[in-house]
Amino acid sequence: MENLQFAEVIVERGSEASPIYHRMRRTLAHLPFKIVDNIAPDNTATAHGDRFGAAKRTLYLTRHKGDFLKKCPGSEGQVCCNYFVINFASNCPMDCSYCYLQEYLADNSALKIFTNVNDLIDEAERMLARHRGVFFRIGTGEITDSLALEPYTGMMGELIPYFAEQANLLLELKTKSDCVESLLDLDPKGRVVVGWSMNPQRVIDLDEHGTASLIERLNAARLCQEAGYRLGFHFDPMIEYPGWETDYESMLEQTFATIDWRKLSWLSLGVLRQTPALKRTMRERYPSSALLAGEQVLCPDGKMRYFQPLRVEMYRKMVHWIRRAAPTVKIYLCMESRQVWEQVFGFAPTCEKELGNQMAPEVEQPIHA
Amino acid sequence: MQTSAIRDYAKAKGFHRQTLDRWLGWQPADQDALEEIASSLKIGENHLRDMMDWLEEIALRDGAKIHEILARPAVFSIKTDPRLGRADKLKRIKEQLRRWRFPRLAGIEESIRIKIRSLKLPSEIRLGVPAGLEGGRLQVEFSAGSVAEFGKLAQRLSETASTTLAAEIFDLLAGRTPENEQGQS
Repeated sequence: MENLQFAEVIVERGSEASPIYHRMRRTLAHLPFKIVDNIAPDNTATAHGDRFGAAKRTLYLTRHKGDFLKKCPGSEGQVCCNYFVINFASNCPMDCSYCYLQEYLADNSALKIFTNVNDLIDEAERMLARHRGVFFRIGTGEITDSLALEPYTGMMGELIPYFAEQANLLLELKTKSDCVESLLDLDPKGRVVVGWSMNPQRVIDLDEHGTASLIERLNAARLCQEAGYRLGFHFDPMIEYPGWETDYESMLEQTFATIDWRKLSWLSLGVLRQTPALKRTMRERYPSSALLAGEQVLCPDGKMRYFQPLRVEMYRKMVHWIRRAAPTVKIYLCMESRQVWEQVFGFAPTCEKELGNQMAPEVEQPIHA
Repeated sequence: MQTSAIRDYAKAKGFHRQTLDRWLGWQPADQDALEEIASSLKIGENHLRDMMDWLEEIALRDGAKIHEILARPAVFSIKTDPRLGRADKLKRIKEQLRRWRFPRLAGIEESIRIKIRSLKLPSEIRLGVPAGLEGGRLQVEFSAGSVAEFGKLAQRLSETASTTLAAEIFDLLAGRTPENEQGQS
């Protein structure tokens, strides 16, 4: 993966006492660090041009003032997998042309890292203590990539030791990077899943700018598996184009040749989806992306997806190729309707709790490489 | 180049600034080709935006120019058909653009329509599919004026359900085609 090209680090006063700040002073020693009293919105805006792209060049260190833990919003009317998210940063240094953050963070696109990790852990502790009988799947990759900034922040050294001790959860780190070095000496105790968003190299080259290559992702996954981490793969967003079948089938063969599927926690499938507003942004930022010309229709939840028979066909082919190599691995669909579940699998989970529970049981028996 | 004509048209129709800017951002020949159709058919902003979306995306996918797409014989014959009024011409041109923009979706929709017609159902029974085939369910609607007619229609529906054509319709809705099934055997 290429080194990320940052121009400066702006630090909100108060954050310079945090371990993250000190680590970043070391790892980004070549960059100017500017201390400011507060990060005002106008500090983050560029007057002209690609504001969203420009925002990725400045790192902000600040304290997070709201709640760190939130229930994943899912999508209206879709079968949800009962997922919680922790936002320890906001925005992503990579720049996928389909990224929903282009819309979601359009007015708040500063690349922020939250330095009050202790508050995050305290909040998690309170929630987990209140609900010892409930199983939580907690992810960190909703509004940022979980690991892309890890070489600079070293945040996992604080988070993983805490979450690995909790009996009623799985922590999922979701990434398109290969930044796993700092994870390899930590003991996840079977409670940390490192999940990769996966696409064939052709899609990575065209639409996943600044991310790790397919081979780099797979090699990082293998290292994590050897270090005792559970793995997840998210074949999402799947992109349909002439010849997609060959590329996706080959990617799956490569994946199962590199890692031991028996130690996979889950695989998810999802097709490219965007709101009409995101599509307008994509037109402005990536006018020649072929993603704009897929046969997508507007679905009842307000997102555009490939029309149903087409995406059901895509899912069924993927499931077929996966099952051929990994007959019993857990597969779920991300943000899909009950009808699509039924057409793909012949059944749909009765409720989100059922799907969430399907992901849970293995945690009782931690794995070791 | 008819920039002023486009500005005048957009102003007269009360278009949003974004729509006008997008139109004026096109190549001159493309701007003019759309202006010619828009003016002659008095196209409103929503219809025009649909057309702009589809034209840009067909051009991107096929590596074609927008004015070349609008000059294709299928569009030309609709534009010049003396039997059609303005509204019908717009409707048919949009249908044609949609077929080019969504060729496989339109193909499946057409196959389902043909199969529904082949079922030769009485006019009291109507079968339909949802917009964009989303939901994957066949809509069945029928009306009866008496118990006897109700029974007759129910009987007919029951017979229809066991035909090959009905099975093929549901296969199409579920993304099952003989080619797909072969690929997964």
